[in-house]
Amino acid sequence: MSSATAFAPGTHVLLVGTKRGLFILTSRDRVEWSCQEQALSGRRIFNAVFDQRVGRRLYAAENGDFFGNFIRYSDDFGQTWQEPERGIQFQEESGLALANIWTIVPGRADDTETVYCGVDPASLWVSHDRGVTWEQNAALANHPTREHWNPGAGGLCLHTIAPDYSNSNRMWIGISSVGCLRTDDGGETWTFANKNTRASYLPDPYPEYGQCIHRFVQHPTQPETLYQQNHCGIYKSVNAGADWIDIQRDLPSEFGFPIVLDSHHPNTVFVIVEGEERNNIGDQFTIYRTRDGGEQWEALRNGLPSGKEVRLGVLRHGMCADEQDPCGVYVGTNTGQLFASADGGDSWKMIADFLPSIYSVTATVIQ
Amino acid sequence: METASATTVTVLLPQALATRVGDQLRAQVAGATVREVIVALDERCPGLRFNLCLETGELRPFVNVFVNGTHVRYLQWLETPLPPGAVVHILPSVAGG
Repeated sequence: MSSATAFAPGTHVLLVGTKRGLFILTSRDRVEWSCQEQALSGRRIFNAVFDQRVGRRLYAAENGDFFGNFIRYSDDFGQTWQEPERGIQFQEESGLALANIWTIVPGRADDTETVYCGVDPASLWVSHDRGVTWEQNAALANHPTREHWNPGAGGLCLHTIAPDYSNSNRMWIGISSVGCLRTDDGGETWTFANKNTRASYLPDPYPEYGQCIHRFVQHPTQPETLYQQNHCGIYKSVNAGADWIDIQRDLPSEFGFPIVLDSHHPNTVFVIVEGEERNNIGDQFTIYRTRDGGEQWEALRNGLPSGKEVRLGVLRHGMCADEQDPCGVYVGTNTGQLFASADGGDSWKMIADFLPSIYSVTATVIQ
Repeated sequence: METASATTVTVLLPQALATRVGDQLRAQVAGATVREVIVALDERCPGLRFNLCLETGELRPFVNVFVNGTHVRYLQWLETPLPPGAVVHILPSVAGG
């Protein structure tokens, strides 16, 4: 099948970043899925995203085992790839070396040339020419507390970027294990936004910074509202991160990695909490959903596997939701299973198995 | 970059870098040290230095360079001088499990 046919407008596309390459799955109906491409074979793909603000550009965060880490982009659905003219490389005098590229985030809808990238060691990179050249955000690089920042198990990674759609000067970022930071002046300064989020592994469990934030999302119609999955809890902020409210309620664990929401019903939020072993609690793989902004949680199990052999973990970029109504939700495991729900989480189906360990899943519809 | 004492050596590159070097995995390059050879290779194939070295200038941890069969860790790393006609092998570490 030609790419023009496989990626015709209206096609649902999943980009699945794995420990050994990028897999591109497509579907016309979100029920039957097929793998169209396997690209960047052998490379660790931490994140991949389609940007359709101008054309159809696919970005991938490629982390090699031997020969370095690169942003790649493709304008032909992954068949051929280009490398930035000036990519993500630290200045030699900084003493820093790129460890991993964690996330690539297209900028605001009305800022079509801008793309953001977060890496380890924690730094924010910005491109204003659709990924061709990149510059490091200086204020974060020179943050006065930086020498006190400590890595989590995955490194000192900047893994989450949320450009505020309602305010072009405001943005949030998440760094493990530093926490959430916010800029209100277009990246000139950064302040911590961690009040009331725990760091129970530190002597002071509520420090200004040092929290192991895992992922967060911005509410699509209430820009002051954020939802966060932390190493130590699930939280909601209704004041742009000035402080946070614990919404763990009766969830069986405070620990998990991903958090996503339903863009048409944004009080509906999905999390996957895990036990100390970093996989499902008990013998049932379970995804949790709230429909009221975190007041109550329900366990979603219909179609998800159970049994004594079921021990599935999901990494921070391993779950996403599409923008359909009812929303599709997609979950990739660190053992290579990919689950999908086309009805907002009510029922689930495994749509791929035997993939390499899944690092990330993103969904889009070809325009 | 060639220096007054530069000599021409043969560089053998791994298949994994074929795209970067336009499938030219064997190259004649002038350089007095391994570092100079890498700089010269990067001028010919922009980006190759970043494949081989960290931004801080050191060799990447899983990139091995041999000069006439001896790993540069037993010589002078990137400052290893190159005799005329040297063969410089660049290889990824063995990996698996």
